[in-house]
Amino acid sequence: MVYTRRTVWPLVLGILMVAYAYMVQSGAMEPVIKFLGTGRNAGEMQILGYAFGAIGIVAGLLQLLTTPKDGQGDYLLSMVGGVIFIMAVAFIVKWGLDPLMAQWGRAAQPTLGFNFASVMNLNYVVMGILAGIVIVNVFKVPGWAENGVRLSRLGLKTGVILLGALYSLAELAHLGKLSVVLIGVFVLGSVGVVLWLGARRNMPNSMTGVLAAGVGVCGVSAAVAAAPVVQAKSTEIAYTIGTILLFGVLCMFIFPIVGKSMGMGYIQFGAWAGTGILNSAQVAGAALAFQPNGIETLKVAEIFNITRVLFLPIIVLWLAVWYVRREVSAQKVDLVQVIVGKFPVFVLGFILMFALSSTGIFAPAQHYQGSYFDNSEKAMTTKDKDGKPVSKLLGDKDLAALQAEAAKVQRQDQKSALQRLIENKKLMSIDDDDTLRGVVNAKIMSKAANDVLVKAHRAVRHTAKKIAMFRDLIAWFFTFGRVGLGMQITMSSIKQAGGQPLVVGSIVGVIKALGSLLVVWLLVSETI
Amino acid sequence: MAEDKFDRGSALTVFKSDRREDFMALVLSLIIALLVYLFI
Repeated sequence: MVYTRRTVWPLVLGILMVAYAYMVQSGAMEPVIKFLGTGRNAGEMQILGYAFGAIGIVAGLLQLLTTPKDGQGDYLLSMVGGVIFIMAVAFIVKWGLDPLMAQWGRAAQPTLGFNFASVMNLNYVVMGILAGIVIVNVFKVPGWAENGVRLSRLGLKTGVILLGALYSLAELAHLGKLSVVLIGVFVLGSVGVVLWLGARRNMPNSMTGVLAAGVGVCGVSAAVAAAPVVQAKSTEIAYTIGTILLFGVLCMFIFPIVGKSMGMGYIQFGAWAGTGILNSAQVAGAALAFQPNGIETLKVAEIFNITRVLFLPIIVLWLAVWYVRREVSAQKVDLVQVIVGKFPVFVLGFILMFALSSTGIFAPAQHYQGSYFDNSEKAMTTKDKDGKPVSKLLGDKDLAALQAEAAKVQRQDQKSALQRLIENKKLMSIDDDDTLRGVVNAKIMSKAANDVLVKAHRAVRHTAKKIAMFRDLIAWFFTFGRVGLGMQITMSSIKQAGGQPLVVGSIVGVIKALGSLLVVWLLVSETI
Repeated sequence: MAEDKFDRGSALTVFKSDRREDFMALVLSLIIALLVYLFI
């Protein structure tokens, strides 16, 4: 089978990308960038525009000028079109639709009474998937891009592995116990409820088993991993995947709305999404939709998600015993072989990257959440556009704003930290910074005074360059994966979720989502 | 996208198996990490 199509589109898209990057570089796009407020993305617009544009042009020329023959070269070349197609959609969404929607949301706020873009989470993550869904269901993915679209899951997995570089031992020690307990209760509970409900509704054991793994652990991967253990048919796997994707997509849109309306913090939402959303792919989507301009929520959600994936061997063992007991005629299944053969290696990759990161090769070991504290004179001085040094110390107006409301702070440790800040015009220690973050979160003082505290916090917190690069790369790998994922959600795959598995999966999914919401709301405190 | 459109991989991936896709993601990630370590 020859995959490469003779088409002009990769070449056209490549030329457009290079032209766009050049226009950004030359300043021709300045009015548009200024209007959309995307100035901080100008660097990546040029780098990504030139890089993917060049790839598109070279591959496009090869597609036009050579005659493809069945083989590895043809297979690889045919993937480039899909990658360029996804990236073109991602560029439009991230650099165009996202800031435009944010502007419309703000503009309509006085009339509507709320910011619809913020409330409906119409950011680049959600719009990327929606764009993918619209393309595949309304316009159809072009034939020359179809092969490359199948690379989107590779993008997601690579993003998850790279995410390991952002974790440290201190963070896992902080969240580990909580995630293990929460996930343990909900994973084992969900599997148990699906098995019970499936039996009550007379579903086939193989169907129930594969649905239990999918709903309980990490969605599609778990369903596929558990399938040989319960000897599930391919249609049963397809039904389970359809159910998980449908429910996951709904969760991905609903969770951030609920989280925002309840005023959840990053850790709370991350814990809830990582526990309550069925599929790994959609956990990251919800976390990014909740906090598009930061990675704190995503990191927490992924810790919970990874913890959940680590339960897979236990669930596989459980299902094997359960299935063998219920199906006397079931053939013997080698459990060790199934676990060794099906355990997702990208989870081990995440742990490997985490181990590498913990050695301090990407950032010093004392860094926390990718950032470090430095209030030295050098760190407290920055340069303006003209290269003139600008001090980050608090100014007289800032100090006056704090002094005017200092009496509102009652706790002794908070009073002392605030006093030290006022005396020195800068935060003097990590402890002081953390203490005053509590004052900001509790909204003890006015917004103006809180803004001064946030300014003081930002002045002493710095992000390591390597970690900042990892963050950008991860965001783009996930964006690539999301758009491609959307292009794989066809109406027929959604319809496959119909019937019993949808009912059982939805009941357990709702119980899991509500139960984890309750537990997280009551037990998880906000510490970022 | 129908499964039978591709004689290699599946409807969701270009790779022969999930395991191979996982390994490719791992290799890609390690290369990226090395580049970030060396040049950033």
